[in-house]
Amino acid sequence: MKARNLDLFADRSTEPAGPPAPKVWTVSQVNRAVRRLLEETLPQLWVTGEVANFNRHRSGHCYFTLKDRSAQIRCVMFRREAATLPTDPDEGMTLRVFGGLTLYEARGSYQFVVSRLEAESADGMWKLAFERLRRRLDTEGLTDPARKRRLPDFPRRVGVVTSATSAALRDILAVTERRAPWVRVLVRGTGVQGPGAGRQIAAAIDTVAARGVDVVIVARGGGSIEDLWGFNEEPVARAVAACPVPVVSGVGHETDVTICDLVADLRAATPSAAAEAVAPDGRALGRRLAALGQRLGRALSGQARARRWRLDRARERLFGGARRLTSAYRQRLQGGRAGMSQAMQGRIQRRSARLKEAAAAMEALSPLSTLARGYAVPLDVNGRLLRGVGDFVPAERFRLRVVDGNVPCEVADRPTRES
Amino acid sequence: MEADAGLDRRLERIEEIVRLLDSDSLGLDEALALFEEGVGHIRRAREVLARTELRVEELIGEEGEEVREFEPAGDGDGDDAEDG
Repeated sequence: MKARNLDLFADRSTEPAGPPAPKVWTVSQVNRAVRRLLEETLPQLWVTGEVANFNRHRSGHCYFTLKDRSAQIRCVMFRREAATLPTDPDEGMTLRVFGGLTLYEARGSYQFVVSRLEAESADGMWKLAFERLRRRLDTEGLTDPARKRRLPDFPRRVGVVTSATSAALRDILAVTERRAPWVRVLVRGTGVQGPGAGRQIAAAIDTVAARGVDVVIVARGGGSIEDLWGFNEEPVARAVAACPVPVVSGVGHETDVTICDLVADLRAATPSAAAEAVAPDGRALGRRLAALGQRLGRALSGQARARRWRLDRARERLFGGARRLTSAYRQRLQGGRAGMSQAMQGRIQRRSARLKEAAAAMEALSPLSTLARGYAVPLDVNGRLLRGVGDFVPAERFRLRVVDGNVPCEVADRPTRES
Repeated sequence: MEADAGLDRRLERIEEIVRLLDSDSLGLDEALALFEEGVGHIRRAREVLARTELRVEELIGEEGEEVREFEPAGDGDGDDAEDG
């Protein structure tokens, strides 16, 4: 035992000799002595047991009982330490707590002052808190995949919420500059760990969202579950859900999943991956623009081609029509010509045949042949045929045409008419 | 479309123009005007892509009410370690 502890009993040596009057202690003295004994003789230690009656007092201090089958200890966790607890333990949960024994002098009961409280595994309490909040958010639908919003294809302004001096921010800026340097980045630096980190992160999300960005990246590099805890706190979940533009969460490493990740519209494995998801690839965009330019050109020449084709067709139809039209005429003309000459020929042939007939008939009718048979034709001086008695005037001269010449004659007397 | 229209709106419009030009219900004047518009959008989009320097601003102040050009912290800053 340390010398100092011996002092507790040192008073005896200063008592006067003789039958010593018994030393009478006050209750306070006893409790103080026992308290010192407890506090100074027993080292800080880990204790395990089941928790009962966990009670978080208005003051922020937490009181509970730790027990096993046959014994129990009253425990207290003061506000400062209790504030680091991600959540309250469930009744009956097996805990291990680290701290020291003391005596609560006012009651004379001893208690264990807890500085650290863990579930069976070191991360147990964090996991418990995570699952609790997650269940609540699930119930509210905040983690529903149907709620996820699509990221803008080409954001003009990107908000970034992270520690302003972090490697995470440097990674985000490097990726964004490489892929999409035309994007404007608005950074809101925030504390990302320690008590109150959740509220700071939430406030930072609200702040950048209010500045009119197209998308928000919430990021932090890797760390222990405790380091990342701020991103598992309810205010962050609420701020992400309420953010008017999509939120991409890039917290920790690939294996870390935070509440922020679950509520965000997109979970990226790392801060760099978050930036990749947000910043469009400028080279791909350049290729797309080139392709669009070609399509535009093709579409226009398609328009020209369609018109040329229509023009060609129209011309074809026009000329075709004209050709058909003229060829009909030409045919009719040719036909007409052929018909005409045929008709003419026919007529000519018919005429010449008639002519021959007529010639033959005329031959037959020729007066010369009659004259040759001994007839004579009387003609007046003018050569007119004298047909009847009325044509003969007495004393008028006339001639008789006979077969081989003319015979001068004179009407000797009045002609007589035979009835 | 305004001069600073976003890339997404430009791309959408260009695609719309291509679709229109692929249809055969356009007048020639209309087709030419659309083509010119599309080429303009492509040119503007290319101008945007041609930028090389990232512009970063930082919101400072209690409520983030001030904006300043972001100055990256020097390497070896103590906070880097804890932020992994």
